[in-house]
Amino acid sequence: MDFSLPEEFVMLKKMVRKFTENEIMPLEMTVIEREAARGFEATPSMPPEEEKKILAKAKDLGLWGIDVPEEHGGQGLGMLAKMLVEEEMNRSICWIFLPPDSPNLDFLANACRPEQYEEYLFPYSRGEKTSALALTEANAGSDAAGIQLRADRKGDKWVLNGTKLWISFGPKADFFIVIAVTDKVKKQRGGFTAFLVDKGTPGFTILRNIPCIGDMLVYELLLEDVVLDDSKVLGEVGQAFVPLQNRLGVRRIEIGAKCCGAATRCMELMLTQARVRETFGSPIGNRQFIQGMIADSTTEIHACRLMVYHAASKYDSGEKDLRIEGAMTKVYGTEMLQRISDKAIQMHGALGLSKEMVLEYIFRMCRIWRIVEGPSEIHRWLIARQIIRSEKPYETIFGML
Amino acid sequence: MKILVLLKQTFDTEAKITIEGGKISRSGVSMIINPYDEFAVEEALKIKESLGGEVTVVSTGDDGVQDALRQALAMGADKAVLINPGTDDVDEFTAATVLAKAVSGMEYDLILAGWRAVDDGSAQVAGRVAEILGIPIAKLASKIDVEAGKATATCEIEGGTEVIELPLPAIITAQKGLNEPRYPSMKGIMQAKKKPMEKKGLGDIGLDAGAVAAKVKVLSVALPAARAAGKVFDGEPADTSAAVVKALREEAKVI
Ligand SMILES: Cc1cc2nc3c(=O)[nH]c(=O)nc-3n(C[C@H](O)[C@H](O)[C@H](O)COP(=O)(O)OP(=O)(O)OC[C@H]3O[C@@H](n4cnc5c(N)ncnc54)[C@H](O)[C@@H]3O)c2cc1C
Ligand SMILES: Cc1cc2nc3c(=O)[nH]c(=O)nc-3n(C[C@H](O)[C@H](O)[C@H](O)COP(=O)(O)OP(=O)(O)OC[C@H]3O[C@@H](n4cnc5c(N)ncnc54)[C@H](O)[C@@H]3O)c2cc1C
Repeated sequence: MDFSLPEEFVMLKKMVRKFTENEIMPLEMTVIEREAARGFEATPSMPPEEEKKILAKAKDLGLWGIDVPEEHGGQGLGMLAKMLVEEEMNRSICWIFLPPDSPNLDFLANACRPEQYEEYLFPYSRGEKTSALALTEANAGSDAAGIQLRADRKGDKWVLNGTKLWISFGPKADFFIVIAVTDKVKKQRGGFTAFLVDKGTPGFTILRNIPCIGDMLVYELLLEDVVLDDSKVLGEVGQAFVPLQNRLGVRRIEIGAKCCGAATRCMELMLTQARVRETFGSPIGNRQFIQGMIADSTTEIHACRLMVYHAASKYDSGEKDLRIEGAMTKVYGTEMLQRISDKAIQMHGALGLSKEMVLEYIFRMCRIWRIVEGPSEIHRWLIARQIIRSEKPYETIFGML
Repeated sequence: MKILVLLKQTFDTEAKITIEGGKISRSGVSMIINPYDEFAVEEALKIKESLGGEVTVVSTGDDGVQDALRQALAMGADKAVLINPGTDDVDEFTAATVLAKAVSGMEYDLILAGWRAVDDGSAQVAGRVAEILGIPIAKLASKIDVEAGKATATCEIEGGTEVIELPLPAIITAQKGLNEPRYPSMKGIMQAKKKPMEKKGLGDIGLDAGAVAAKVKVLSVALPAARAAGKVFDGEPADTSAAVVKALREEAKVI
């Protein structure tokens, strides 16, 4: 069992760390100010022109498409490499989505038919097109089986009607992967179909932005008699559920990596504070309560990082069913970050609460992470169900033995 | 154009220096390319990009130095050469003797180096190498132009700059401001491990321990004294200003 990262991955991690510190972190105060100033408007907190510059530099460095297979124009370095990059970039609060977004890429790569490659898979892989996933509706979140947006067959066309809620990216996306009901009776067992809906398709509207805690813009979408032909069906008719579940699995591990990065940043700030802040004649790092925070946080970050690396290397070795690993990493990572960012604020006193530091931003942002991509309860339920149901000996269930 | 870069691995500039057993402790310290040498690597790559040629990075030290060399390869250098002096007891004489000897067996038109290393800061090695090789040197360059057979370096001097023309081969040392070193790209990183890394011992370049034995002996090392607390002058501005001036003159002796 070799836990060491390959040398080139260590170099990659160091390079991304330097890039993040030099090119991205200087924008943090701008992001905090813009986020605070926007109120109910959907102004992005990162100035779009700065984002463009950073993305261009990241592209030159070869940070786009790290996990995209070489035959699709990517670097083919796999998920572990991508997770290392995510981890390092999330030491900064500035959200930079390195194209292509892995989970949707996974969906497209698995479901696109060859005749859809030129329009969707390839430009997406190359980072020329961006996408969003539209699954959630007002009455169907955790339990996606309850979605109601319909796709009816009329002649040789599909007609889509309904709404989607809490959809990230909104106006930024060139196309949406919309999950619709094609068979009301079968539902998730053969009745859900994924459609590719381009921005600007007649009948498709981004209704509004819904202001939320944290810094992730979400939108409500309306589809009114949106007419699509068969070329816009992604994957098999009625078979959206499996690639969808796999897609979510990728995202969950990625969230774990993001949380490791953000928690590492909190930890670094905590360490400085423990060393330099003095009360009652002594650095607070000399107090047992503070030492407890540092010891626990370090232990948790280490555990989470191992979970992420382990899951990612399993994915790279061809394992596709990472439901348990994904769920464990997502619950543990997001809740870890909540605990650590809370402790980091605590250790910084009033300063930690203020918008002069990044901590309160991280604290609010990670509140979102505990709900999006499946609330903690759902993941715990999934883990327990899989384990209880399994006939296999306990240690073999997710492959540690 | 064949360019050699003399490169030293140093402590990370953020590293906390501690002394253990009378020596500066290396444990837990992350190592980097000496920042001035990184400017030299970048400059070499830029010259190669405009004139064509080959960049070889040369260093002396133990196997750990390979990390720094690999970093330079990832930035775009073509080859690396590492000479192990077989001892930790190394001074500027040792380093320069080893490097000059290694380099003398190689083809080169131009040698670039950092003007000093951020660790011991002696600024001697490049000068000594030039002396041993019998080639001209320009130091502290903030701009370098190379054409057939000659180089022009704009160098920092007390209170200004001077422009020096050197016939090639020559050595030029880099000062901050010469360029902005690139990040190694993903492609560069992946290629780095496939590029040649030649590892040699003293015997391989025709030297032995006696020929490179350090001439300077370090008797002791000490950390700078912790900064004393500042002094606060209480009272009316007119009185305190007088007191501050007096203290600056008589206690601090700075005016
Ligand atoms: C910022 C943001 C961005 C988003 N982006 C997207 C997007 O791009 N695309 C998309 O399709 N969706 C998106 N969503 C929606 C997100 O996926 C859902 O919010 C999430 O799946 C939870 O669904 P829900 O909000 O309907 O909560 P519900 O499903 O109603 O659950 C509410 C709560 O009930 C409890 N609960 C539910 N079921 C169980 C159970 N079985 N056992 C125990 N407790 C339970 C949990 O505490 C849960 O938090 C986004 C949401 C947010 C906030
Ligand atoms: C919204 C708000 C309103 C405020 N209003 C006022 C006001 O009206 N008037 C006023 O005077 N002040 C006010 N304050 C300041 C407030 O009283 C201080 O923030 C508080 O006393 C903590 O001090 P500090 O922020 O300097 O943190 P510090 O004293 O630096 O403490 C930082 C952290 O270090 C740790 N710590 C410190 N000492 C120890 C120890 N001995 N053992 C273990 N851990 C330790 C704790 O985790 C603590 O949270 C306000 C602050 C805020 C945020």
